[in-house]
Amino acid sequence: MRLAMLEFMQWFLVLCSIGCLIRLILGPRGADRLVALNVLSGVALGFLVLRGVQLGQVLYLDVALVYDIFGFLGFLAIARFLKDKLADQEDES
Amino acid sequence: MDAKKIWHLIRFLITAVAMYAVWLLFSASFQPYSLIAGLIGSLLISALTYQEFIAEHEASLGSFMPRPIQLIVFLFILMFYLYQSSIKMLGAVFHGRVNPRIVHFRTRLRSDLARMVLSNSITLTPGTITLDLNDDHLTVHWFFCNTSHAKVAGEAVKGRMEQHLKRVWL
Amino acid sequence: MIEIGRNIFALIAFGSAVIFGIGGIIGLFRFPDAYSRLQAGALCGTTAVISIFIGSLILAPTWAIAARIILLLFFFLVSSPTGAHIVARFAWNSDIQPWRPADQRRTGSDDRSKE
Repeated sequence: MRLAMLEFMQWFLVLCSIGCLIRLILGPRGADRLVALNVLSGVALGFLVLRGVQLGQVLYLDVALVYDIFGFLGFLAIARFLKDKLADQEDES
Repeated sequence: MDAKKIWHLIRFLITAVAMYAVWLLFSASFQPYSLIAGLIGSLLISALTYQEFIAEHEASLGSFMPRPIQLIVFLFILMFYLYQSSIKMLGAVFHGRVNPRIVHFRTRLRSDLARMVLSNSITLTPGTITLDLNDDHLTVHWFFCNTSHAKVAGEAVKGRMEQHLKRVWL
Repeated sequence: MIEIGRNIFALIAFGSAVIFGIGGIIGLFRFPDAYSRLQAGALCGTTAVISIFIGSLILAPTWAIAARIILLLFFFLVSSPTGAHIVARFAWNSDIQPWRPADQRRTGSDDRSKE
């Protein structure tokens, strides 16, 4: 029962991440892609926690903790990069 | 020792204690080597960075030290609001009747930390996202808008959250 | 007996996680502009992940794992709205107009006014 539930939730999260990836590829502008990436990071976090509980290993949860705290620094970097790129395009045109 | 030096010392000590608590949480071992290494590291880092951790112009201890019991109560209230608004959002996803609008309003909270927590929690809860926080002026994207009057919109969005936060941070 | 109770509570938590997750993914595809997608995705996604954390907390085999999951829960309550705010601020600063329903389009004045 317990292992079956954990296994099922992992497959469900895989399906969710496929949906996010479709949005990531389709998204017409940079902001839509960042939205998909935001949801995807939460999905990855839930997957790490489920995997750690299923195998009973603490190491997965340590990785999840660090990924949680420093995850949004990645968004900051990507947002800054995209803004610089937009400004460059406006300068050229 | 004048007041300024004491204030520097208090800020340094608070930073060091916070660093050491985080080290204990992450390392989760009580061997003497790990304890001493963490102590030396936290003292060194807090000597370098306490100016940024707590700004010089903070009024007093009360403006950034939360009251622990009230803070835990606030976190549970926040979780309750999160589920409530998420159920509302599920309804909106399925029937599709929404009215998104940008609203501007002001907050009455004084300390910077409390304002930051307020903007974070109104990003979490009732279908709203903080777009900008400028001193005490908030720009919010509201998903279920029914008014454009600034004061009414502010009361509807902040709701009881501001009252709870006032108890946590004065 | 305790084992059965734990399983039932975990089943409730995981069931709500599945419902909110499906709602979030549908919301990502249904709404027309970036702000509305962010609202649906961030809110339902956060609730789904927190439900998964609560379910895992009930099923956790040892105390070390349970303590780390509680820590993760509190950090996630801080970091998730921060990430959503960064994305929303990027959209706001790159001059994307918010979408409005068709019958509301002319009533309000300027949304994107720079002061």
